[in-house]
Amino acid sequence: MATPIRKSVELFYDVVSPYSWLAFEVMCRYQQKWNIDLKLRPFFLSGIMQGAGFHQPGPSKASYMGKDLKRQTDMYKVPFKMPRNPAEVILIKGSLNAGRFLTAVDMNCDQYLEELTRQLFLRVYYRDEDITEPASLMSAAAKAGIPEDLAKQLLSTIKDQAVKDRLRQTTQAALDHGAFGSPTIVAHVDGKPQMFFGSDRMELMAHMLGEKWYGPLPELAKAKM
Amino acid sequence: MAALRSRKVVELFYDVISPYSWVAFEVLCRYQTRWNIDLQLRPFFIGGVFKETGNKPPALLAAKYTYAQHDLRRLADFYKIPVKMPPMERLMRRENVNSNRLLTAVTLDCPEHLENLSRELWMRVMARDQDITEPASLETAATAAGIPSDTTPQLLSRIRDDDVKAALKDTTNQALAYGAFGAPTIVAHIEGTPVMIWGSDRFPLLAHLLGERWEGPLREMAKY
Repeated sequence: MATPIRKSVELFYDVVSPYSWLAFEVMCRYQQKWNIDLKLRPFFLSGIMQGAGFHQPGPSKASYMGKDLKRQTDMYKVPFKMPRNPAEVILIKGSLNAGRFLTAVDMNCDQYLEELTRQLFLRVYYRDEDITEPASLMSAAAKAGIPEDLAKQLLSTIKDQAVKDRLRQTTQAALDHGAFGSPTIVAHVDGKPQMFFGSDRMELMAHMLGEKWYGPLPELAKAKM
Repeated sequence: MAALRSRKVVELFYDVISPYSWVAFEVLCRYQTRWNIDLQLRPFFIGGVFKETGNKPPALLAAKYTYAQHDLRRLADFYKIPVKMPPMERLMRRENVNSNRLLTAVTLDCPEHLENLSRELWMRVMARDQDITEPASLETAATAAGIPSDTTPQLLSRIRDDDVKAALKDTTNQALAYGAFGAPTIVAHIEGTPVMIWGSDRFPLLAHLLGERWEGPLREMAKY
């Protein structure tokens, strides 16, 4: 009997985006349940906002998103805590170094990409810790199980043209799929790319992939506090 | 034997120019027979919400508008609702408020027709790309919704009445008081506390909050 070919599902994300953490954890759980090949694509949200335009949420929408994130992450058992100053985290400090570091790992030792992603999300959206400084990135790398020498070497490459170009290309690939935010999921269904924005199209995506939706699947949770 | 429990009130604030409001409306209409809820339809004016909150209509961002066209096509298939994103010119017409005022008049005068008329207006503007601003259009919709044709001229004239305009403003302000910034806005009253939920993609969460079960799109209950 022929093994069905795994369907490719790309997750474009930036670790500075809270809904991206939710989508990331859900997809990591579902790659164990569905016949999919999950490809993590760290990109640069700031580049997406520049490319597609951006409406800054007003106070009532921002307030709602804080409540929504708490309820959604409670339901999905993701240990999310809003940082004291989310605007500073997202708009001022940003994620350029983190995005380049993830890119370097993706290019050289992608077996660590999932756990490094998780450790960066835990820093910013569980412990309200920095993700811009070299020491912060080394700490996340250590928790992700990346050997220190390797982590140091990858960190030294984050200003290399090849790494910058790769992050830019990944961001452009998302823009070419019509992305305007993070997370952006591209599921390849019957040879056609289907782009989904956000962390709340999972049941619809299941329907289109011909898979079953089981809800939050907290028993498959990997994010530990 | 099931214990008698009082129904939980779920208010749906919606505007017929909002395609995602149609999705929320149909889902809640299907689930009001499954869940122990008292669904209360609250037609409001999304233009007023945008004005008060400074939130921008998503359609104004080209990438979001394009995405919504695809998203709605897929949701139409998933939920079996013939919803399509209307062209920009229809979305942005100021006269769309006429249909909100008509729905408000129906809420005041003959609320038994509110569900059918809401659905018929969405069928016009979303499924058939037809006008919902002109008196003739609204009269056709009212008749198609089952409102007796001898009462429609009087009902249509109510669009210009001060009490109708005030009631629409009042409903919109109620939604704003709950923290609304867009459409649809769902307010579930859980043990005396109103919980506001935005959009048509939080039904599993709503089920969880209501102590009910989400059983998916229930396409077999589609009215189409």
